[in-house]
Amino acid sequence: MDSSDGYMCKMHFQIKNETVVSRAGTSAHEQTCLPMEEALELPLDDFEVTESTATNEVIKYEYHVLYSCSYQVPVLYFRASFLDGRPLALKDIWEGVHECYKTRLLQGPWDTISQQEHPILGQPFFVLHPCKTNEFMTPVLKNSRKINRNVNYITSWLSLVGPVVGLHLPLSYAGAASQDE
Amino acid sequence: MTDDKDVLRDVWFGRIPTCFTLYQDEITEREAEPYYLLLPRVSYLTLVTDKVKKHFQKVMRQEDISEIWFEYEGTPLKWHYPIGLLFDLLASSSALPWNITVHFKSFPEKDLLHCPSKDAVEAHFMSCVKEADALKHKSQVINEMQKKDHKQLWMGLQNVVSTWSSQEIETTQRVKQDRFDQFWAINRKLMEYPAEENGFRYIPFRIYQTTTERPFIQKLFRPVAADGQLHTLGDLLREVCPSALAPEDGEKKNQVMIHGIEPMLETPLQWLSEHLSYPDNFLHISIIPQPTD
Repeated sequence: MDSSDGYMCKMHFQIKNETVVSRAGTSAHEQTCLPMEEALELPLDDFEVTESTATNEVIKYEYHVLYSCSYQVPVLYFRASFLDGRPLALKDIWEGVHECYKTRLLQGPWDTISQQEHPILGQPFFVLHPCKTNEFMTPVLKNSRKINRNVNYITSWLSLVGPVVGLHLPLSYAGAASQDE
Repeated sequence: MTDDKDVLRDVWFGRIPTCFTLYQDEITEREAEPYYLLLPRVSYLTLVTDKVKKHFQKVMRQEDISEIWFEYEGTPLKWHYPIGLLFDLLASSSALPWNITVHFKSFPEKDLLHCPSKDAVEAHFMSCVKEADALKHKSQVINEMQKKDHKQLWMGLQNVVSTWSSQEIETTQRVKQDRFDQFWAINRKLMEYPAEENGFRYIPFRIYQTTTERPFIQKLFRPVAADGQLHTLGDLLREVCPSALAPEDGEKKNQVMIHGIEPMLETPLQWLSEHLSYPDNFLHISIIPQPTD
Protein backbone atom coordinates (compact mmCIF):
# COMPACT_ATOMS: atom_id res chain seq x y z
CA MET A 1 0.00 0.00 0.00
CA ASP A 2 1.67 3.18 -1.19
CA SER A 3 1.07 6.65 0.11
CA SER A 4 -1.07 8.75 -2.14
CA ASP A 5 0.82 11.01 -4.48
CA GLY A 6 -1.86 13.63 -4.33
CA TYR A 7 -4.05 15.38 -1.83
CA MET A 8 -7.55 16.84 -1.56
CA CYS A 9 -7.46 20.60 -1.47
CA LYS A 10 -10.02 23.19 -0.45
CA MET A 11 -9.49 26.91 -0.49
CA HIS A 12 -11.76 29.58 0.75
CA PHE A 13 -11.54 33.30 1.11
CA GLN A 14 -12.98 35.22 3.98
CA ILE A 15 -13.18 38.87 4.73
CA LYS A 16 -11.74 39.47 8.13
CA ASN A 17 -13.46 42.21 10.01
CA GLU A 18 -13.32 43.29 13.59
CA THR A 19 -16.90 42.37 14.44
CA VAL A 20 -17.55 38.66 14.55
CA VAL A 21 -19.37 37.33 11.51
CA SER A 22 -22.96 36.76 12.52
CA ARG A 23 -24.04 33.17 12.13
CA ALA A 24 -27.67 32.27 11.53
CA GLY A 25 -28.92 34.99 13.80
CA THR A 26 -26.82 34.42 16.87
CA SER A 27 -24.67 37.30 17.96
CA ALA A 28 -21.12 37.22 19.15
CA HIS A 29 -22.17 37.85 22.73
CA GLU A 30 -24.33 34.79 22.99
CA GLN A 31 -21.55 32.29 22.41
CA THR A 32 -24.04 29.53 21.83
CA CYS A 33 -22.76 26.35 20.36
CA LEU A 34 -24.55 25.48 17.15
CA PRO A 35 -25.68 21.94 16.52
CA MET A 36 -23.82 20.39 13.60
CA GLU A 37 -26.79 20.58 11.20
CA GLU A 38 -27.07 24.34 11.63
CA ALA A 39 -23.34 24.77 11.36
CA LEU A 40 -23.41 22.98 8.04
CA GLU A 41 -26.07 25.33 6.73
CA LEU A 42 -24.04 28.45 7.37
CA PRO A 43 -23.09 30.62 4.43
CA LEU A 44 -19.61 29.60 3.43
CA ASP A 45 -16.84 30.18 1.03
CA ASP A 46 -17.17 33.77 0.15
CA PHE A 47 -15.26 33.55 -3.12
CA GLU A 48 -16.38 36.97 -4.22
CA VAL A 49 -14.34 39.82 -2.96
CA THR A 50 -15.97 43.22 -3.14
CA GLU A 51 -13.77 45.88 -4.61
CA SER A 52 -14.21 48.22 -1.70
CA THR A 53 -12.42 45.80 0.61
CA ALA A 54 -8.74 46.42 1.18
CA THR A 55 -6.80 43.41 -0.04
CA ASN A 56 -4.93 42.98 3.21
CA GLU A 57 -8.23 42.29 4.91
CA VAL A 58 -8.93 39.21 2.83
CA ILE A 59 -7.62 35.94 4.16
CA LYS A 60 -7.04 32.87 2.03
CA TYR A 61 -7.52 29.56 3.85
CA GLU A 62 -6.13 26.36 2.43
CA TYR A 63 -7.07 22.91 3.65
CA HIS A 64 -5.35 19.79 2.40
CA VAL A 65 -6.25 16.23 3.26
CA LEU A 66 -3.34 13.84 2.90
CA TYR A 67 -3.00 10.21 3.72
CA SER A 68 -0.35 9.16 6.23
CA CYS A 69 0.97 5.76 5.19
CA SER A 70 2.84 5.49 8.49
CA TYR A 71 -0.32 5.77 10.60
CA GLN A 72 -2.76 4.73 7.87
CA VAL A 73 -5.16 7.57 8.59
CA PRO A 74 -6.05 10.84 6.87
CA VAL A 75 -4.30 13.98 8.11
CA LEU A 76 -5.55 17.56 7.85
CA TYR A 77 -2.99 20.19 6.85
CA PHE A 78 -4.05 23.83 6.82
CA ARG A 79 -2.70 27.32 6.54
CA ALA A 80 -3.97 30.85 6.11
CA SER A 81 -2.44 33.94 4.57
CA PHE A 82 -3.34 37.45 3.46
CA LEU A 83 -3.56 38.00 -0.29
CA ASP A 84 -0.13 39.61 -0.32
CA GLY A 85 1.33 36.33 0.94
CA ARG A 86 1.88 37.18 4.59
CA PRO A 87 1.03 34.08 6.60
CA LEU A 88 -1.24 34.04 9.63
CA ALA A 89 0.11 32.68 12.88
CA LEU A 90 -1.83 29.90 14.54
CA LYS A 91 -3.27 32.27 17.10
CA ASP A 92 -4.72 34.49 14.34
CA ILE A 93 -6.35 31.48 12.66
CA TRP A 94 -7.64 30.41 16.05
CA GLU A 95 -9.49 33.73 16.46
CA GLY A 96 -11.63 32.89 13.43
CA VAL A 97 -12.80 29.61 14.92
CA HIS A 98 -16.17 29.49 16.70
CA GLU A 99 -16.03 29.13 20.53
CA CYS A 100 -17.68 25.74 20.74
CA TYR A 101 -15.14 24.23 18.39
CA LYS A 102 -12.33 25.69 20.43
CA THR A 103 -13.68 23.79 23.40
CA ARG A 104 -13.80 20.61 21.38
CA LEU A 105 -10.17 21.00 20.38
CA LEU A 106 -9.10 21.62 23.94
CA GLN A 107 -10.95 18.49 25.07
CA GLY A 108 -9.24 16.24 22.54
CA PRO A 109 -9.19 13.43 21.28
CA TRP A 110 -6.28 14.66 19.26
CA ASP A 111 -2.89 15.55 20.63
CA THR A 112 -2.03 18.99 19.30
CA ILE A 113 -1.83 21.30 16.36
CA SER A 114 1.72 21.94 15.32
CA GLN A 115 3.61 23.43 12.42
CA GLN A 116 5.06 20.84 10.05
CA GLU A 117 6.49 20.57 6.58
CA HIS A 118 3.88 19.60 3.97
CA PRO A 119 5.22 16.27 2.61
CA ILE A 120 4.40 17.14 -1.00
CA LEU A 121 4.78 20.93 -1.19
CA GLY A 122 7.65 21.18 1.30
CA GLN A 123 6.17 24.33 2.86
CA PRO A 124 5.14 25.03 6.46
CA PHE A 125 1.53 24.10 7.29
CA PHE A 126 -0.33 23.56 10.53
CA VAL A 127 -1.30 19.96 11.17
CA LEU A 128 -3.90 18.31 13.34
CA HIS A 129 -2.15 15.23 14.70
CA PRO A 130 -3.53 11.87 13.60
CA CYS A 131 -2.43 9.72 16.51
CA LYS A 132 -5.88 9.31 18.00
CA THR A 133 -7.87 9.30 14.75
CA ASN A 134 -8.70 5.59 15.01
CA GLU A 135 -10.03 6.24 18.49
CA PHE A 136 -12.68 8.72 17.47
CA MET A 137 -13.50 7.27 14.05
CA THR A 138 -14.22 3.71 15.21
CA PRO A 139 -17.57 4.59 16.88
CA VAL A 140 -18.63 6.43 13.71
CA LEU A 141 -17.95 3.39 11.55
CA LYS A 142 -19.49 0.97 14.07
CA ASN A 143 -22.65 3.02 14.27
CA SER A 144 -23.03 3.25 10.51
CA ARG A 145 -22.91 -0.52 10.26
CA LYS A 146 -25.58 -0.80 12.91
CA ILE A 147 -28.02 1.37 11.00
CA ASN A 148 -26.95 -0.28 7.74
CA ARG A 149 -25.76 2.87 6.08
CA ASN A 150 -22.62 3.38 4.02
CA VAL A 151 -20.52 6.11 5.46
CA ASN A 152 -17.86 7.91 3.49
CA TYR A 153 -14.88 7.76 5.86
CA ILE A 154 -13.20 10.94 4.65
CA THR A 155 -16.38 13.03 4.76
CA SER A 156 -17.25 11.82 8.26
CA TRP A 157 -13.70 12.43 9.45
CA LEU A 158 -13.67 15.91 7.88
CA SER A 159 -16.95 16.84 9.51
CA LEU A 160 -15.42 15.98 12.90
CA VAL A 161 -12.02 17.61 12.58
CA GLY A 162 -12.70 20.35 10.04
CA PRO A 163 -14.76 22.81 12.09
CA VAL A 164 -12.13 22.75 14.81
CA VAL A 165 -9.77 24.56 12.45
CA GLY A 166 -12.31 26.71 10.68
CA LEU A 167 -13.23 24.32 7.88
CA HIS A 168 -16.98 23.99 7.37
CA LEU A 169 -18.57 21.59 4.95
CA PRO A 170 -21.71 22.39 2.96
CA LEU A 171 -24.78 20.18 3.41
CA SER A 172 -24.22 18.65 0.00
CA TYR A 173 -21.23 16.82 1.50
CA ALA A 174 -23.57 15.25 4.04
CA GLY A 175 -25.69 13.95 1.20
CA ALA A 176 -22.64 12.50 -0.52
CA ALA A 177 -21.51 10.95 2.76
CA SER A 178 -24.43 8.58 2.92
CA GLN A 179 -24.62 7.55 -0.71
CA ASP A 180 -23.71 4.08 -1.80
CA GLU A 181 -20.31 4.01 -3.45
CA MET B 1 37.30 -6.54 11.31
CA THR B 2 34.91 -3.74 12.15
CA ASP B 3 32.28 -4.69 14.63
CA ASP B 4 28.71 -3.64 13.91
CA LYS B 5 28.77 -1.68 17.16
CA ASP B 6 31.65 0.42 15.82
CA VAL B 7 29.35 1.55 13.02
CA LEU B 8 26.86 2.85 15.58
CA ARG B 9 29.64 4.80 17.27
CA ASP B 10 31.00 6.23 14.01
CA VAL B 11 27.54 7.42 13.03
CA TRP B 12 26.90 8.99 16.43
CA PHE B 13 30.21 10.87 16.60
CA GLY B 14 30.27 12.13 13.01
CA ARG B 15 31.15 15.84 12.67
CA ILE B 16 31.18 18.52 9.98
CA PRO B 17 33.60 21.46 10.12
CA THR B 18 31.49 24.55 9.57
CA CYS B 19 32.16 28.27 9.17
CA PHE B 20 29.33 30.61 10.14
CA THR B 21 29.32 34.09 8.62
CA LEU B 22 26.85 36.86 9.39
CA TYR B 23 24.74 37.98 6.45
CA GLN B 24 26.22 41.20 5.09
CA ASP B 25 22.98 43.20 5.32
CA GLU B 26 22.54 42.59 9.05
CA ILE B 27 23.11 45.74 11.06
CA THR B 28 26.14 45.52 13.34
CA GLU B 29 27.84 47.90 15.72
CA ARG B 30 31.26 46.56 14.76
CA GLU B 31 32.65 43.96 12.37
CA ALA B 32 31.46 40.41 12.95
CA GLU B 33 34.16 37.74 12.74
CA PRO B 34 33.20 34.38 11.25
CA TYR B 35 32.65 31.59 13.76
CA TYR B 36 33.98 28.05 13.33
CA LEU B 37 32.35 24.98 14.79
CA LEU B 38 32.38 21.18 14.41
CA LEU B 39 28.69 20.34 14.04
CA PRO B 40 27.33 16.92 15.06
CA ARG B 41 25.88 15.16 12.02
CA VAL B 42 23.13 13.52 14.03
CA SER B 43 21.71 16.66 15.66
CA TYR B 44 19.70 19.68 14.52
CA LEU B 45 20.90 23.21 13.71
CA THR B 46 18.85 25.10 16.26
CA LEU B 47 19.90 22.69 18.99
CA VAL B 48 23.67 23.12 18.59
CA THR B 49 24.19 26.74 17.57
CA ASP B 50 23.75 28.65 20.82
CA LYS B 51 27.43 29.65 20.66
CA VAL B 52 26.91 30.99 17.13
CA LYS B 53 23.91 33.05 18.19
CA LYS B 54 25.75 34.50 21.18
CA HIS B 55 28.81 35.31 19.10
CA PHE B 56 26.92 37.40 16.54
CA GLN B 57 24.46 38.96 18.95
CA LYS B 58 27.44 40.49 20.77
CA VAL B 59 27.97 42.89 17.85
CA MET B 60 24.29 43.66 17.22
CA ARG B 61 21.69 45.81 18.92
CA GLN B 62 18.77 44.04 20.57
CA GLU B 63 16.23 45.74 18.27
CA ASP B 64 17.91 44.36 15.13
CA ILE B 65 17.65 40.77 16.33
CA SER B 66 14.71 38.49 15.71
CA GLU B 67 14.50 34.76 15.02
CA ILE B 68 17.81 33.27 13.83
CA TRP B 69 17.86 31.29 10.61
CA PHE B 70 20.57 29.76 8.44
CA GLU B 71 21.17 29.67 4.74
CA TYR B 72 23.59 27.94 2.38
CA GLU B 73 24.20 29.43 -1.08
CA GLY B 74 20.79 31.10 -1.06
CA THR B 75 18.87 28.08 0.23
CA PRO B 76 17.27 28.49 3.68
CA LEU B 77 18.32 25.52 5.82
CA LYS B 78 15.50 23.47 7.35
CA TRP B 79 16.41 23.12 11.01
CA HIS B 80 14.12 20.13 11.34
CA TYR B 81 16.33 18.09 8.98
CA PRO B 82 19.36 16.47 10.67
CA ILE B 83 22.59 18.41 10.06
CA GLY B 84 24.29 15.47 8.34
CA LEU B 85 21.41 15.19 5.86
CA LEU B 86 21.54 18.91 5.02
CA PHE B 87 25.28 18.72 4.41
CA ASP B 88 25.18 15.54 2.30
CA LEU B 89 22.31 16.84 0.21
CA LEU B 90 23.49 20.41 -0.36
CA ALA B 91 27.21 20.74 0.26
CA SER B 92 29.04 17.41 0.21
CA SER B 93 30.60 18.05 -3.21
CA SER B 94 32.07 21.39 -2.13
CA ALA B 95 35.32 21.96 -0.27
CA LEU B 96 35.30 22.08 3.52
CA PRO B 97 34.51 23.94 5.71
CA TRP B 98 30.77 24.13 5.13
CA ASN B 99 30.05 27.85 4.74
CA ILE B 100 26.74 28.78 6.34
CA THR B 101 25.29 32.30 6.41
CA VAL B 102 23.52 33.47 9.57
CA HIS B 103 20.43 35.73 9.45
CA PHE B 104 18.54 37.56 12.19
CA LYS B 105 15.80 39.21 10.15
CA SER B 106 13.36 38.58 7.27
CA PHE B 107 12.54 35.06 8.42
CA PRO B 108 11.44 33.12 5.28
CA GLU B 109 7.91 32.17 6.42
CA LYS B 110 7.14 30.25 3.24
CA ASP B 111 10.19 27.98 3.50
CA LEU B 112 11.07 27.39 7.13
CA LEU B 113 9.25 26.16 10.21
CA HIS B 114 9.58 28.39 13.25
CA CYS B 115 11.69 27.10 16.09
CA PRO B 116 10.53 29.01 19.14
CA SER B 117 12.47 26.92 21.67
CA LYS B 118 14.34 23.69 22.33
CA ASP B 119 10.94 22.18 23.16
CA ALA B 120 10.02 22.52 19.48
CA VAL B 121 13.07 20.47 18.53
CA GLU B 122 12.21 17.85 21.14
CA ALA B 123 8.60 17.65 19.92
CA HIS B 124 9.76 17.23 16.33
CA PHE B 125 12.41 14.63 17.23
CA MET B 126 10.00 12.58 19.32
CA SER B 127 7.33 12.72 16.65
CA CYS B 128 9.84 11.26 14.14
CA VAL B 129 10.81 8.52 16.59
CA LYS B 130 7.12 7.68 17.07
CA GLU B 131 6.43 7.64 13.37
CA ALA B 132 9.42 5.33 12.80
CA ASP B 133 8.06 2.94 15.42
CA ALA B 134 4.60 3.06 13.86
CA LEU B 135 6.28 1.70 10.73
CA LYS B 136 8.58 -0.82 12.46
CA HIS B 137 6.36 -2.16 15.21
CA LYS B 138 2.87 -0.68 14.80
CA SER B 139 3.89 1.67 17.63
CA GLN B 140 3.94 -1.20 20.12
CA VAL B 141 7.50 -0.67 21.39
CA ILE B 142 7.34 3.13 21.74
CA ASN B 143 3.92 2.98 23.44
CA GLU B 144 5.11 0.38 25.95
CA MET B 145 7.94 2.67 27.06
CA GLN B 146 7.54 5.01 29.99
CA LYS B 147 7.76 8.76 29.63
CA LYS B 148 11.18 8.69 31.29
CA ASP B 149 12.48 6.40 28.53
CA HIS B 150 11.31 8.89 25.89
CA LYS B 151 13.05 11.63 27.88
CA GLN B 152 16.23 9.55 28.00
CA LEU B 153 16.32 9.33 24.18
CA TRP B 154 15.97 13.06 23.95
CA MET B 155 18.52 13.79 26.70
CA GLY B 156 21.08 11.57 24.98
CA LEU B 157 20.68 13.54 21.76
CA GLN B 158 20.38 16.94 23.37
CA ASN B 159 23.71 16.48 25.11
CA VAL B 160 25.58 15.99 21.83
CA VAL B 161 27.18 19.40 21.57
CA SER B 162 29.14 21.29 18.96
CA THR B 163 32.83 21.59 19.68
CA TRP B 164 35.62 23.78 18.49
CA SER B 165 38.27 21.16 17.91
CA SER B 166 39.03 17.46 17.79
CA GLN B 167 41.05 18.02 20.96
CA GLU B 168 37.94 19.11 22.76
CA ILE B 169 36.27 15.92 21.61
CA GLU B 170 39.09 13.80 23.02
CA THR B 171 39.20 15.48 26.40
CA THR B 172 35.49 14.98 26.82
CA GLN B 173 35.58 11.46 25.42
CA ARG B 174 34.39 9.82 28.61
CA VAL B 175 31.42 12.15 28.94
CA LYS B 176 30.52 11.69 25.30
CA GLN B 177 30.55 7.94 25.64
CA ASP B 178 27.94 8.32 28.39
CA ARG B 179 25.57 10.13 26.04
CA PHE B 180 25.96 7.45 23.41
CA ASP B 181 25.29 4.75 26.03
CA GLN B 182 22.40 6.75 27.52
CA PHE B 183 20.73 6.98 24.11
CA TRP B 184 21.34 3.40 23.01
CA ALA B 185 20.20 1.89 26.31
CA ILE B 186 16.69 2.85 25.16
CA ASN B 187 17.13 2.94 21.39
CA ARG B 188 18.22 -0.71 21.24
CA LYS B 189 14.63 -1.68 22.14
CA LEU B 190 13.43 0.20 19.06
CA MET B 191 15.86 -1.88 16.98
CA GLU B 192 14.54 -5.27 18.08
CA TYR B 193 12.08 -7.47 16.22
CA PRO B 194 10.22 -10.72 16.97
CA ALA B 195 12.37 -13.86 16.65
CA GLU B 196 10.04 -15.37 14.05
CA GLU B 197 10.35 -12.35 11.74
CA ASN B 198 13.51 -11.44 9.87
CA GLY B 199 13.16 -7.73 10.42
CA PHE B 200 10.85 -4.78 11.04
CA ARG B 201 7.35 -4.54 9.63
CA TYR B 202 8.28 -1.63 7.35
CA ILE B 203 11.54 0.32 7.07
CA PRO B 204 11.44 4.00 8.11
CA PHE B 205 13.21 5.87 5.34
CA ARG B 206 13.11 9.13 3.40
CA ILE B 207 14.88 9.76 0.10
CA TYR B 208 15.88 13.34 -0.75
CA GLN B 209 16.84 14.91 -4.07
CA THR B 210 17.34 18.59 -4.80
CA THR B 211 16.23 18.12 -8.41
CA THR B 212 12.57 17.42 -7.58
CA GLU B 213 9.71 19.63 -6.34
CA ARG B 214 8.75 17.14 -3.68
CA PRO B 215 10.80 17.45 -0.49
CA PHE B 216 11.25 13.67 -0.06
CA ILE B 217 9.96 10.23 -1.00
CA GLN B 218 8.52 8.10 1.78
CA LYS B 219 6.58 4.90 1.14
CA LEU B 220 5.74 1.61 2.79
CA PHE B 221 8.52 -0.90 2.08
CA ARG B 222 9.16 -4.24 3.73
CA PRO B 223 12.71 -5.34 4.62
CA VAL B 224 11.96 -8.97 3.75
CA ALA B 225 10.51 -10.30 0.52
CA ALA B 226 7.68 -12.85 0.34
CA ASP B 227 10.24 -15.63 -0.23
CA GLY B 228 12.17 -14.63 2.91
CA GLN B 229 15.06 -12.93 1.07
CA LEU B 230 16.31 -9.72 2.60
CA HIS B 231 15.64 -6.65 0.47
CA THR B 232 18.70 -4.54 -0.35
CA LEU B 233 19.28 -0.81 -0.73
CA GLY B 234 19.24 -1.40 -4.48
CA ASP B 235 15.85 -3.12 -4.24
CA LEU B 236 14.45 -0.13 -2.38
CA LEU B 237 15.71 2.37 -4.96
CA ARG B 238 14.52 0.27 -7.90
CA GLU B 239 11.06 0.25 -6.36
CA VAL B 240 10.60 3.82 -5.13
CA CYS B 241 13.21 5.94 -6.93
CA PRO B 242 14.43 4.16 -10.07
CA SER B 243 15.84 7.38 -11.57
CA ALA B 244 18.48 7.38 -8.83
CA LEU B 245 20.14 4.29 -10.27
CA ALA B 246 22.29 4.09 -13.36
CA PRO B 247 20.75 2.30 -16.34
CA GLU B 248 22.04 -1.27 -16.97
CA ASP B 249 24.93 -0.36 -19.23
CA GLY B 250 24.94 3.35 -18.58
CA GLU B 251 27.21 5.65 -16.63
CA LYS B 252 26.70 6.24 -12.93
CA LYS B 253 24.96 9.63 -12.69
CA ASN B 254 24.22 9.83 -8.96
CA GLN B 255 25.63 9.11 -5.55
CA VAL B 256 23.38 7.43 -2.99
CA MET B 257 24.64 8.85 0.28
CA ILE B 258 23.92 8.16 3.95
CA HIS B 259 26.05 9.79 6.69
CA GLY B 260 28.56 10.97 4.12
CA ILE B 261 29.24 7.52 2.66
CA GLU B 262 27.91 5.49 -0.26
CA PRO B 263 26.82 2.10 1.08
CA MET B 264 26.96 -0.79 -1.39
CA LEU B 265 23.62 -1.25 -3.12
CA GLU B 266 23.73 -4.93 -2.11
CA THR B 267 23.57 -4.01 1.60
CA PRO B 268 20.47 -5.45 3.27
CA LEU B 269 18.01 -2.66 4.09
CA GLN B 270 17.28 -4.20 7.49
CA TRP B 271 20.98 -3.89 8.44
CA LEU B 272 21.05 -0.29 7.20
CA SER B 273 17.98 0.53 9.25
CA GLU B 274 19.53 -0.93 12.42
CA HIS B 275 22.96 0.65 11.97
CA LEU B 276 22.79 3.74 9.77
CA SER B 277 19.56 5.32 10.93
CA TYR B 278 19.72 8.73 12.51
CA PRO B 279 18.72 9.04 16.19
CA ASP B 280 15.15 9.66 14.99
CA ASN B 281 15.24 6.03 13.71
CA PHE B 282 14.85 7.08 10.07
CA LEU B 283 17.24 6.31 7.23
CA HIS B 284 17.70 9.73 5.57
CA ILE B 285 19.09 9.00 2.12
CA SER B 286 20.46 11.68 -0.24
CA ILE B 287 20.57 11.28 -4.01
CA ILE B 288 23.10 13.74 -5.35
CA PRO B 289 24.72 14.22 -8.76
CA GLN B 290 27.99 12.35 -9.18
CA PRO B 291 30.67 15.00 -8.71
CA THR B 292 32.80 15.61 -11.79
CA ASP B 293 36.40 15.95 -10.73
